[in-house]
Amino acid sequence: MNDENKKQINERYEKQLEKGERFWPDTIFKDLVMSFGIFILLLLLATFIGVPGEPKADPSDTSYIPRPEWYFLFLFKFLALYGQLPVIGKIEWLATVLIPGIAIAVLTLMPFIEKSPYRHYSKRILPISIMSIMVVGIVLLTLMSDVPTVSKDGSSLLGTLQTIAGIFIPLTAYILLFVFKKNTRFMLWTTSLAALSMILVSGTVLALAPEKEAEETEVATTLPDQIVAGQDLYSIHCTECHGDDGAVAVITGVEGLEGEKITPINSRDVLYTVTDSAMSEVIGYGRPNAGMPPFGKTYGGELTKGEIDYIVIFMRYMWDDRFEAPEIKPLFPPLADGEVPSYDVHIQPIVKRYCISCHRAGKDNNNYLMTTYEEILTTGDQVSNNVIAGDENSYLLQVIQEHAIMNPEKPEEELIGVMPPTKALKPDVIDVFIRWIMNGMPQTAEEAAALSTTPTTTPTP
Amino acid sequence: MWKTVYNWLDERIGLNDLYTNILDRPEPKTSWWNTLGSASMFLFIFQGLTGIFLTVYYTPSPDHAYDSINYIMEGVAFGWLIRGIHHWGATLMVILVFIHMLRVFYTASFKYPRELTWLIGIGLFLTTLGMGFTGYLLPWNQKSFWATTVGTQIAGTVPFLGEFILKALRGGPDLSALTLQRFFSAHIWIIPAILAALIGIHLFLIIKHGESHWPQKED
Repeated sequence: MNDENKKQINERYEKQLEKGERFWPDTIFKDLVMSFGIFILLLLLATFIGVPGEPKADPSDTSYIPRPEWYFLFLFKFLALYGQLPVIGKIEWLATVLIPGIAIAVLTLMPFIEKSPYRHYSKRILPISIMSIMVVGIVLLTLMSDVPTVSKDGSSLLGTLQTIAGIFIPLTAYILLFVFKKNTRFMLWTTSLAALSMILVSGTVLALAPEKEAEETEVATTLPDQIVAGQDLYSIHCTECHGDDGAVAVITGVEGLEGEKITPINSRDVLYTVTDSAMSEVIGYGRPNAGMPPFGKTYGGELTKGEIDYIVIFMRYMWDDRFEAPEIKPLFPPLADGEVPSYDVHIQPIVKRYCISCHRAGKDNNNYLMTTYEEILTTGDQVSNNVIAGDENSYLLQVIQEHAIMNPEKPEEELIGVMPPTKALKPDVIDVFIRWIMNGMPQTAEEAAALSTTPTTTPTP
Repeated sequence: MWKTVYNWLDERIGLNDLYTNILDRPEPKTSWWNTLGSASMFLFIFQGLTGIFLTVYYTPSPDHAYDSINYIMEGVAFGWLIRGIHHWGATLMVILVFIHMLRVFYTASFKYPRELTWLIGIGLFLTTLGMGFTGYLLPWNQKSFWATTVGTQIAGTVPFLGEFILKALRGGPDLSALTLQRFFSAHIWIIPAILAALIGIHLFLIIKHGESHWPQKED
């Protein structure tokens, strides 16, 4: 740029200043309005959307699908698509370092690359075209970041379409733009068609994309929730050996550990001397020499670090007399006269607390699984007798009321023992099961309400 | 009384000069697109304020980071609001800075005499991304842990230097307490200091050259 140009630019700017405004108050007023608008937007976002809960970091959980921050998603998607290309797809650093590096370098050096003194868009078709295609690409890649490149049925159609929209079309457009950079009309057409076809192909990808499975990550944030989560986990994983109150000193009824002597884990000896982190290590690693299996994912168990923390919190607040437990919601809402319980509201939390510990896959339970509504009704060696609508002789009702089922062929042998084997359920829990089965096992709260003889909304005192 | 105070101050720091040199300047007709830069700076200040509040309760260690954030959300009065604003402010700031950069690009405002303003601006954009990247790890939840794992892994693919960069970012071969500690330090001290200094230069240059006018046909 020569001095002539510079003089011209400065003169034009002076002219614009004469027709312009004052920095204070005109310009600043606009700035303040904008900032205030953003402040209001922030308040609304923070209040009505908030920050979604996430489970605690667990380095051992390799099943977690890692995703970068949302504003790097386009780069992540670009890397994934690039990796599919033949030959150069294997040279990772080309896409992770070289291409972004060049992009940033070009952007940084823009004032020295685009040396023409002109500012009006009609004289800058090439740079504007390149940037526009880039921005469209970034937005589309971000939108497509969730779509897999290989569908469940093994077809790579989605991946191919994404590569076309995210790499081939922009690349072709760039080459054309540089080859025909003298022809303004051609450049405009190229850019518009490239952007349009990228949008169309990406739209197809999004339309064909498999429905995203709703991720259910329940995160207990309040102390009562954490204690309840810990109690549920404890009753599934620990009750078998340690008992529901942790008081067991000699294990009974567990295959392979029968008669094993253990320290009651609800004792002061344990609670006062073992720190939280030591406790979670014991749960995670187990005590293999003493027969306790590992429960942490790190060591091949089922529990994440966060889940083990919940169990420790539960033990502290329920058994350690130095901790005062907050008020905790009852396991299920108490039933009014004539009210019929439902699976969703009553049975599920009860089953989770008292039954799933044994009645889940991989345990010795006569193949009777109870983890879902369907399983409770349709599994088990005695499936035809377990749960019969309106029949108080249903095996399930019999065994929880301390009547073991005898084998009809060998009358002295128990076919099904009383349940739960070690400690009888409380009368109100048994009452829930009786009412549920006698009224035909409704699944949802609505179905149950329809069966109730008194309106559930106004429980009789 | 006010006049005496004003005059006393004016003699010492030159309030009148500040007013005429900084506030009472002519500007070309500005559009709403010209407000994005100041809005980004507003967000930076706001992120700073909410961030300072958050450090009162936040603990940068793998054992306590998650619980301390949980406490901010559940136990501290209006903690959820402060964290919510900080969380969404980060997202908005990245978007705003990016759109601001696009505006400057499309109106070719980076050309003479504002080349240096653009260079500093690119620095501001990159440091803003750096703030986002380091801040993302601090809640120490699954999302942030694995996002940082992936992010640092990508940085580790640089030829020859990759392993060094990876170890420098993570403070070792794996993500650990050291990673959290240095991301925290970068997030609250190193990068904000750079960012603030760059904003200062950026502002000085803007006041020196004035805002660029919307390009006309003859420009």
